Amino acid sequence: MAAVHTGSIATTPTTARRHSLQRRGPPALRGWITLDPLFRKVCAAFGLSIVSLLGFVVYELLRGSSASLARFGASFVFDRIWDPVAEKFGAATFVYGTAVTSVIALLIAVPLGIGIAIFLVEMAPRAVREVAGFLVELLAAIPSIVYGLWGLFVLAPIVRDGLAPVLRTTLGFLPLFTGPSYGLGMLTAGLILAVMVLPFIAAVSRDVLSAVPQMQREGSLALGATKWETIWHVVLPYGRAGISGAVILALGRALGETMAVTMVIGNSPQIVASLFAPGYTMSSVIANEYSEASGQLYLSSLTELGLLLFVVTFAVNGVARLLIWRMSRGAEGSRA
Amino acid sequence: MLSTLGFRTTAVLALAFAFAACNKSSPTPSDTQASSSAATQASGGNITINGAGSSFVYPLLSRWSADYQKVSPTVQINYQSVGSGAGIRQVIAHTVQFGATDGPMTDDQLKEAGAPVLHIPLVMGAIVPTYNLPELPHAIRFTSDALTHIFLGDVKTWNDPKIASANPDLKLPSTPVVVVHRSDGSGSTYIWADYLAKVSPEWKTKVGVATSLNWPVGIGGKGNEGVAGTVRQTPGAIGYVELTYALQNKLPLGEIKNAAGSFIAPTIESVTAAAAGALATLPDDLRYSITNSPGDKAWPASGTTWAIVYQNMPAGPERKSLVSFLRWTLQDGQKACAPLSYAPLPAELVEKAAAKLDLLEPAKK
Amino acid sequence: MKMRASHLTVRYGAKVAIKDVSIDIHANQVLALIGPSGCGKSTFLRSLNRMNDTVPGVSVTGQVQLDGEPIYGPEVDAVLVRRRVGMVFQKSNPFPKSIFENVAYGLRVGGLRERGAVADRVEQALRHAALWDEVKDRLHESGLGLSGGQQQRLCIARALAVEPEVLLMDEPASALDPIATAKVEELVSDLRDQLTIVIVTHNMQQAARVSQRTGFFYMGKLVEVGETTQIFTRPKERETEDYITGRFG
Ligand SMILES: Nc1ncnc2c1ncn2[C@@H]1O[C@H](COP(=O)(O)OP(=O)(O)O)[C@@H](O)[C@H]1O
Ligand SMILES: [Mg+2]
Repeated sequence: MAAVHTGSIATTPTTARRHSLQRRGPPALRGWITLDPLFRKVCAAFGLSIVSLLGFVVYELLRGSSASLARFGASFVFDRIWDPVAEKFGAATFVYGTAVTSVIALLIAVPLGIGIAIFLVEMAPRAVREVAGFLVELLAAIPSIVYGLWGLFVLAPIVRDGLAPVLRTTLGFLPLFTGPSYGLGMLTAGLILAVMVLPFIAAVSRDVLSAVPQMQREGSLALGATKWETIWHVVLPYGRAGISGAVILALGRALGETMAVTMVIGNSPQIVASLFAPGYTMSSVIANEYSEASGQLYLSSLTELGLLLFVVTFAVNGVARLLIWRMSRGAEGSRA
Repeated sequence: MLSTLGFRTTAVLALAFAFAACNKSSPTPSDTQASSSAATQASGGNITINGAGSSFVYPLLSRWSADYQKVSPTVQINYQSVGSGAGIRQVIAHTVQFGATDGPMTDDQLKEAGAPVLHIPLVMGAIVPTYNLPELPHAIRFTSDALTHIFLGDVKTWNDPKIASANPDLKLPSTPVVVVHRSDGSGSTYIWADYLAKVSPEWKTKVGVATSLNWPVGIGGKGNEGVAGTVRQTPGAIGYVELTYALQNKLPLGEIKNAAGSFIAPTIESVTAAAAGALATLPDDLRYSITNSPGDKAWPASGTTWAIVYQNMPAGPERKSLVSFLRWTLQDGQKACAPLSYAPLPAELVEKAAAKLDLLEPAKK
Repeated sequence: MKMRASHLTVRYGAKVAIKDVSIDIHANQVLALIGPSGCGKSTFLRSLNRMNDTVPGVSVTGQVQLDGEPIYGPEVDAVLVRRRVGMVFQKSNPFPKSIFENVAYGLRVGGLRERGAVADRVEQALRHAALWDEVKDRLHESGLGLSGGQQQRLCIARALAVEPEVLLMDEPASALDPIATAKVEELVSDLRDQLTIVIVTHNMQQAARVSQRTGFFYMGKLVEVGETTQIFTRPKERETEDYITGRFG
């Protein structure tokens, strides 16, 4: 460094030139400085390319679904009939199935996942923590076809012969838990989804809780709070934004998951109160019918389902981001 | 100075390599003629024929393409199992030279194709009912009436008279009937619905015939394995699967009373018999349906997989190779069917199919 | 006498952090703990309200008494100990909640539900911590929006709100500027009437200004404890003298 510096002084005898040099930085760095605007342009290009890719996807989806949009308009979203023979297409049953299975999945996986994270971070001894943490991450790596097979051959009979009868006798006064169960249906799909998104929620929440400063816990304990009060009132609120992020990630996966759900949901487009009944999701029907679909309107309607799924996922993400942003701003307070 | 020198050296080296490469690949004027005539014989002189479509025929086509490689080592057959509907779309889009479909192209699709498309039968298939009931001494016999009403959702228990009357010697339980159908668009669904529509006007008007249906009842499983798995998992379930899959997996299968009035067990022979029985009534373009075939020993829910090729395919080595391959599948290739649980075409149908190929490339005599 | 530690030894795993420490903590006095970094001052302080329980692998032998009652033992609820022995940390650690909620927190977990009473106690605590005038118009803004010195006084207010009998302060002013430090010191002197304070400090002038008694820790041992004036003018031990005259540490 010193050698470079004296060198540059030696070759620039006048102070004026020294000034100009200083503004541009030492010679060794000049190359970087001229690269900087280029680098910025490259980054901008990458950023723009993502936006234009997104625009292209939307454009293609819109173009593909134009026939269906023109034919059915808004009624596409509310119509329950999906009849490829009569060429009548409505998405309501699929929207319903997607929503119900995702809600079931989150209702189960969110408390369980956060509970696992709390256990791992706040209670488990280090050995347990590492082994259990590894297992949780392993769960996330299992391909969805394996979950599907497991759901079909293991979980479905358990639901049919074990869970459904119990729910029917205990909670049967609710329309949600009435009627026969064949093992395959929205409840089973929701359970499978819960298992599939659980590792996301648990792993991300664990990282979030680990990142909560120990000082926050000690501050609470020092005020005479119990361990549970500390977790509930201090640790979880501190990690709220991060945990919400985990939940959104999970919801995104639940909305879009196809293979495993298709294998256990029964693939029957209908809207019925009972969670034991078979249902159908948007992603499943696209995956099931796209390759064999014949006819302009049929293909177009499947594409419009894709568009709908895209819009829903996009909206969910947008709302979630807004929530997280507002929450983290709330936590920081009005510093400005 | 030093760096400039370095740059020059590399530039010179690069140029030298470029020259060397050029010398090797650029033809002297005298070979130009010869090489252009074999333009399609890319890398190593091979001709690649691309096909796409039916997943039902995929295992057989893979076998055929491997066997054919031994017969004609310069021809490579690539087949993508994307589903019949997608296969038809790819043929129309000219992204493949041939398609394979379990259902003939519709009139609309032919119109969309813009030019005549040949249908060449390749092999027979059949759809068979499989069920999950505790040990019975022999297969359940279904009348067409019983099957229709099971799949319409009117027959709700296994001891319903519609089933029981044809099985006086079986003690059928009162277990509820659970219908399982394909959830993915499929030629199996097409053939099954086509059969039911032929025997039941009610089915024809209420449900209709297509690769995906608005099912009045039941739960959907993805693929043969999805249907079979669901049936296996669900007491009282009945579903339909491809015969090949059923035979390979030794599923319990039902018998069906055919158009001639006899109860038929699903076998490779009874499927070939279905085609033989319908020969007299086959349309010229071979876009036939052989469900509910009148043959005495015919399995009623039988179908065919066709190769589809544009009749105006330009002449050249590709067309020649494709036709030779298809001709081979109709002759030697048929011997590979039975071991893989596919039903071969009856001899008379092979002749008709070969005659279609003559429209593309006249047979060498 | 408010608290008494007898033969207290604390280990982190195999490592001994403080060894055989015995000390009396007098009621309504400020006890200052001084000594070089790593000598065990924090460890000792944290063993007075069982805060060390949260450290994995810690072991404590000996005993600490609060008003003559042992605080270590199978029947003792550490939570109840901490309600009586509060703590303020070196680095201010307000919760990401409003100023009001920060102070109300200890009251709420202590079971106080009535809104008026909570509000009264919050105001009282903030006044005690000399913060009321600065924050009374922004009680519902985030505690993280305060300056460093204000945050530390918020933490003091938070600790005072639950009305502890003893307040442990671990270098409470080490991260603050001189003006904020002076405010905290003033506060410590004022609070002496109501409670007993143990303060760890690096700053010997500070110890001299605020405390009545001073203890000197060195390498995990309590070398000497006595009247602050005596420790700073006539230390009995050689090590104490070396330390306060600035020969090491
Ligand atoms: N959580 C801990 N785990 C292991 N060793 C620790 C822990 N906390 C402190 N120590 C060790 O105990 C000794 C005393 O530390 P501490 O009480 O923090 O000293 P002081 O507050 O006087 O600087 C030091 O050697 C320190 O490294
Ligand atoms: Mg310390």
